[in-house]
Amino acid sequence: MKGLMDRLRLVDWRSWVPRIVAAVPVFFIILIPAFTTNEATLSMLILTGIWAIAAMGFSLILRTGQFSLGQAAFMAVGAYASAILTVKVGLPFWPSFILAGVISGLIALLVGLMVLRVGGIYFSIITLSLTEIIRIIAQQWEDVTRGARGLITAPPPTTDLGFFSINFAASSVPYYYFMLILVTLTGLVFWQIGRTRLGGTFFSMAANQILSEHQGVHLMKYRVIAFTLAGIFTGLAGSLYAHYLTVITPLVFGLWQSIQIMLMSIVGGIGSLVAGPIIGAVLLYVLGIYLSRLPVFGIQQLLFGAVVVLVLVFLPKGTGIIDLWPKFWRKVYHEVEEYEIPGEVKPDEE
Amino acid sequence: MSFLELRNVTRSFGKLAAVDDVSFNVEKGEVLGIVGPNGSGKTTLINLISGYYRPTRGNIYFEGKKISGLRPDQIASLGIIRTFQSNVLYEKASVIESMLISSKLQYKTSDWIAFLETKKYKDEHEKIVGKELETLQLLDLFNDTFMPAAGLSHGFQRLLGIAVALSGNPRVLLLDEPTTGMNYQEAMAVVDNIKKISEQGVTVILIEHNMKVLLDLATRVIVLSFGCKIADGEPHDVMNRQEVIEAYLGTETV
Repeated sequence: MKGLMDRLRLVDWRSWVPRIVAAVPVFFIILIPAFTTNEATLSMLILTGIWAIAAMGFSLILRTGQFSLGQAAFMAVGAYASAILTVKVGLPFWPSFILAGVISGLIALLVGLMVLRVGGIYFSIITLSLTEIIRIIAQQWEDVTRGARGLITAPPPTTDLGFFSINFAASSVPYYYFMLILVTLTGLVFWQIGRTRLGGTFFSMAANQILSEHQGVHLMKYRVIAFTLAGIFTGLAGSLYAHYLTVITPLVFGLWQSIQIMLMSIVGGIGSLVAGPIIGAVLLYVLGIYLSRLPVFGIQQLLFGAVVVLVLVFLPKGTGIIDLWPKFWRKVYHEVEEYEIPGEVKPDEE
Repeated sequence: MSFLELRNVTRSFGKLAAVDDVSFNVEKGEVLGIVGPNGSGKTTLINLISGYYRPTRGNIYFEGKKISGLRPDQIASLGIIRTFQSNVLYEKASVIESMLISSKLQYKTSDWIAFLETKKYKDEHEKIVGKELETLQLLDLFNDTFMPAAGLSHGFQRLLGIAVALSGNPRVLLLDEPTTGMNYQEAMAVVDNIKKISEQGVTVILIEHNMKVLLDLATRVIVLSFGCKIADGEPHDVMNRQEVIEAYLGTETV
């Protein structure tokens, strides 16, 4: 009995070494502005981070077994909310940023309460239409959103910390760290959800809806929780997007963007809440940027599609870089000493 | 006031009444067997009690409170937990994971306290993990703790179904044919397990075709035929009644 409890708990150098090795690229990411302040590179990384947050939101909803095709709508809501609040209402940046998340979350809550009773394909269709509804509102409500002419936003104000002042207007470096903090915050919240009871409940709903309902899970409640949380963080990402690019038009949050978010999450790895979507966003967004530099018009979408199809055909569970990580370390340990991995099922024994 | 009470419960699908005006009481601590030929409405009855279907007419009361019309998760949180006729499992999860993700109802701390991982939650979690391992030992599933559920044999999957139901902390356990597809020894092992569960004070309602299992376990038997209750009483007595034999085997004059 006691032996098994010890096996359940993993406190060992074997669990720390991979983490320290994984920390190296994290430090590299933090120090990138020290190596390069090239605006094009930083811009690419910042936008990658923003899409990664949206992709994490998609993954959280997917964890409950629902397929949202409207995540770009929440980016649009966040972006327009904070742009309108700063430009038209005249609020300072920081309250607008927070309110953008709140408004986006509220819309997710309302839409969720309306459609998540049934879920499934109905939810996918409604969220798909939501993307279009939000885009059309942004296009047609010209008094507020300025329609297709686009809404001009201001960068966040220069913040003086006494010894050091953060000037958003001067370079992209403050945005880069802003993005890193937001991605880290989202990642930490979602990761904690994934490893605690809430994540277990989400998993059970996707693994077997009927069984989980008969074990006391109110399906709609937990679907709405996941959808709302995703909405809040996607809205915050949208707000950052609006204030980084300083101009938003209805076209930047369309159906294609919703599908891109979905693809990032799926290519990165189905079943991974944080690392998968981030890796997917990096792969697909950077790929998209380099493809768009090709001289042939229209070849971008073609090659993009080809890459996605290839990934899905040959790696149906996503690129699986996340899954390879523990496998790699198991192999390393295996050579160090004969070691029984907790939780590992060895079919050849017994 | 009886523990669980069905009062004139009818469930129709179109013109067919799958359960037709069935009334009975279940007392606390009882092991109630439900038998009947195929299509007599046994599983529909379980579906009605667990909230999967709503009764067309009639009501179901648990400790005096009306539960018909509630959602399955509300009924489960009152302590009425069911198993399924087929192996309904979290196939991707391992045995212990299945137990832990379905142990939600045992926690007193809310999801958000769990999210913050306070000390109170951790203590409770530790206790519940221990309890789940005890359940696995009780049901002889302990050696398969880390096996994926989909990789278990049919018999062990049936047991895991019961184990998962137990991790929901039931006060009434609805077992839908727990021994289907099992050989004699496996079935007898299940009988022992259900006896142990019953001894812990859980009221058991059991659908069973295997007469040996039923007569071993049940303290009372209800017989259904074409959705109607045709007999109710002490197992040996009920199984020898003329109308029950007729329902199963037909009348002598053809």
